[in-house]
Amino acid sequence: MTGHRDINCDLLVIGAGFSGMVAAARAASLGLKTVLAGNSGSLLFVSGLLDYLGVYPMDASATLDDPARGLARLKKDFPAHPYAVTGHERIIQSFEFVKEILGAGGLSYHLSPQKNLSVLTAMGTRKPSFMVPKTMIKGTSLFKERKKLLLIDIKGLQGFSARQVAAGLGNHLSEIRTLRVEIPNIRKAVPPIVLAGFFEDPEVQNAFVKQVLPFSGQVDIAGMPAVCGVNNSLGIQQKLEEMTGMDLFEIPGIPPSIPGLRMKNAFEKKLTDSGVRLLSNIHIKAPVFNGKKFTLIGETDSRELSIGAKGVILATGRFPGGGLHARRERIVETVFRLAVIQPVNRSLWHGLDFLTRQGHLINRAGIETDPFFRPLDERDRPVFQHLYAVGSILAHNDWTRLKSGSGVSQVSACAAVDAFYQSLGKGKP
Amino acid sequence: MLVIGGGATGTGIARDLALRGVKVILIEKSDLNAGASGANHGLLHSGARYVYSDAEAAMECRAEGLILKQIAPHCIEETGGLFVAVPGDDEAYIADFPRMCERSGIPCRPLDVKDARQMEPCLSQDIIAAFGVEDGAIDPFKLSIENLNQALDLGGEYFDHARLEEFTIQHHGIVNARIFNTKTRETFFIEAEVYVSATGAWAGHMATLAGIRIPMVYSKGSLLVTGRRMATRVINRLRKASDGDILVPGGVVSIIGTTSVRADSPDGIFPSVEEVDLIINQGKQMVPALGSRRYIRAYCGVRPLVKSEGDDDRKLSRGFSLLDHANDGVDNLITITSGKLTTFRLMSEKTSNMVCGKLGISSACRTRDLPLPVTSTGEWTEPGVSLRQGFHLSDQEDTMLCECEMVPASAIDSIAADIRSSGGKPDLLSIALRSRLGKGPCQGSACSVRVLSHLYNKGEISGSEGMEGLRRFLNERWKGEHALLWGTSLAQSSLKEMIHCGLFGLELGDREIE
Repeated sequence: MTGHRDINCDLLVIGAGFSGMVAAARAASLGLKTVLAGNSGSLLFVSGLLDYLGVYPMDASATLDDPARGLARLKKDFPAHPYAVTGHERIIQSFEFVKEILGAGGLSYHLSPQKNLSVLTAMGTRKPSFMVPKTMIKGTSLFKERKKLLLIDIKGLQGFSARQVAAGLGNHLSEIRTLRVEIPNIRKAVPPIVLAGFFEDPEVQNAFVKQVLPFSGQVDIAGMPAVCGVNNSLGIQQKLEEMTGMDLFEIPGIPPSIPGLRMKNAFEKKLTDSGVRLLSNIHIKAPVFNGKKFTLIGETDSRELSIGAKGVILATGRFPGGGLHARRERIVETVFRLAVIQPVNRSLWHGLDFLTRQGHLINRAGIETDPFFRPLDERDRPVFQHLYAVGSILAHNDWTRLKSGSGVSQVSACAAVDAFYQSLGKGKP
Repeated sequence: MLVIGGGATGTGIARDLALRGVKVILIEKSDLNAGASGANHGLLHSGARYVYSDAEAAMECRAEGLILKQIAPHCIEETGGLFVAVPGDDEAYIADFPRMCERSGIPCRPLDVKDARQMEPCLSQDIIAAFGVEDGAIDPFKLSIENLNQALDLGGEYFDHARLEEFTIQHHGIVNARIFNTKTRETFFIEAEVYVSATGAWAGHMATLAGIRIPMVYSKGSLLVTGRRMATRVINRLRKASDGDILVPGGVVSIIGTTSVRADSPDGIFPSVEEVDLIINQGKQMVPALGSRRYIRAYCGVRPLVKSEGDDDRKLSRGFSLLDHANDGVDNLITITSGKLTTFRLMSEKTSNMVCGKLGISSACRTRDLPLPVTSTGEWTEPGVSLRQGFHLSDQEDTMLCECEMVPASAIDSIAADIRSSGGKPDLLSIALRSRLGKGPCQGSACSVRVLSHLYNKGEISGSEGMEGLRRFLNERWKGEHALLWGTSLAQSSLKEMIHCGLFGLELGDREIE
């Protein structure tokens, strides 16, 4: 390279999962020239539920009703947790920001004013979450009101059984009925993405309504798998509600996730509208810092791009996303070879019980940062002035147990971008 | 006649006695091959492994191997085997090997190391000696299922999850056995004329229920399953038995092992990270690719060894122990333990002879030359078989529930029906035992959910039992997974945790929102 760069920007965000999307949106909203590079297919693995903090302490006898209360204890017990430097107010602000961004991309979310919501899952369990797609909201108040519920599954859709969800609910409702809806021309297995597309077809909607109608009057509300259209899901749901005369809600399940796909589409629409340059299916490598700017190579199937950036946000995720890689002897960070906080040897990575409430120690491994989310070197100093790490790659956050995944991702993404913005001398965001 | 223990020997005895016209009941405390019968290499020994340590065992292996190839070809792949040495291995041992094989009548052919590397390109460039032997691969699950199926066809009965709790003993004999079904939590009694404990590592425990002490030593051995098959043949390290020195093909995968670690008890054992590293570091000396290969599962079994002098568990006899407890004051109890998968038929025969002696029956053993029938339920444990089946079924209304291992819904249905017909209750674990479900690279992340919802839809499962079954399935798979988690396997397992803990909150149990 002789100084030539194919792309120049203020901020390069590496990783197009949830935290990368939020970081890019935040940067664009502040007027920064932003490039987002990564594989956005990762959002097909997220449930679409946006959590704050659902469980704390991990062995508590109940999930958290008020996440702020859990946060106070978490900060005391784990001063290095990413939430410890941000605090409640900024977390809420980040939820509001994400709600606005997704809304601008055409996807409506419901932000709970304070309390966790109880979301019914395809497994029949209930998961505490904080901000959920509006298409799921009516399912979060089933229990207080002891409603008469109809659970609907769809022939050909695997991994979702109305009977199973009903079994998980046990005797908590006054009445639960189940129904298997058959969609015309689906004979055997249908991928969720194809099925969700079908739901945008008025003929399919009519067939659905025809089979559900006999239950109107007998039940108050009906739950169905989260496949109610890819585009305009809320509009389709409202149409189906009008036609059936009953309330509807969606139930999240195994990937590929339609709520995740909707989120990906909404983010990408908003980012494109805001002038963010999206580089998808690209592998970012070989970072070089010349004292002023970063230069990185973006490798695609056909070519290599040189990308220059004043700041870089690492939102590459953990092991599934490729941000962290585990060798047999230790865990490494894949782009900048940053120091990874981790247990001293592999025998400590995992416990003997997969479903341990305390979580596995490896889930707490990751990148340690300063309060501005800048990764630290061995002597606890920022590795670079303008390199930030956000999202699930951060250390000390076992989000699978805390139910804190998206909260940590979005608040760290917003805080890092804000810090970068300020450090450019542009004032307070 | 009651046989306790649904492993290779127990099912073999059930078949042997059923063929002689004896009415047999088989009980198993968890599920078929849940002990060492399901946790071994699946190696049909040529005998060469034992030519130094135990000439008699070597000869038994040779004879039984020939019989099994005749009577159960559908459970066996005649792969052939190699013994190879690497620099540093004991040269006197290597030089002596052909003569020792000859002493026990084990065919053994010296090979040029270049030829050996052509036969198995995965072998290290550094090997210094190679011999060809007649090892093979045997599917222990298929074997036990087929043995049991014939016993059932001949009027036998089988109960799984049936734990023997107590013997009632009067006048030097067992009058009945109290059985507890750990799934239905029901208690029932079985009365028999003769009781056989074919409980492997649990033989000592079973004997104490009859007031008898069998001194036992437990030696844990761990094995690893590679993501793909590494070699055509069985590859043995040509040295005194040690860690990570046998690589056996099993359909589309290979299995490398083992270790030998003293255990206090046959229960609650798991392969450790240290054992995994030991096996890989040793194995890669013969086959370098073992150092970088993706592993999909680790498992371990316990060698039940009846105690004798000496500290090295590998030196203890791998031959079997057949004990007539008339000598201990209980006339109608027999214990058969220890031994090898390769000699299970012989062990079953000798045990059945003893049973017939006690029952006063003179009919002769028929398992030496009567072929083991092929039944359909034996089809699903072999990797790859279900794939072909999937294409056959492609024009019917059938769907693939496990995509890694291509297990269709129709296979799950037929396995569930079989479990029911033999008195069991289908759940994820019992189905996984009889199929490749969850054994592929995804380790059951999504297929567990798909199969579970399918079982609910079919009415095979109801209420909370499905969730409990899923937790058991995930934790059971975890035992074979947690020590192998690095690289892509770790990424996959993280995804599984994202789904089952992050979204479904399975670790939370039945906690509710306040």
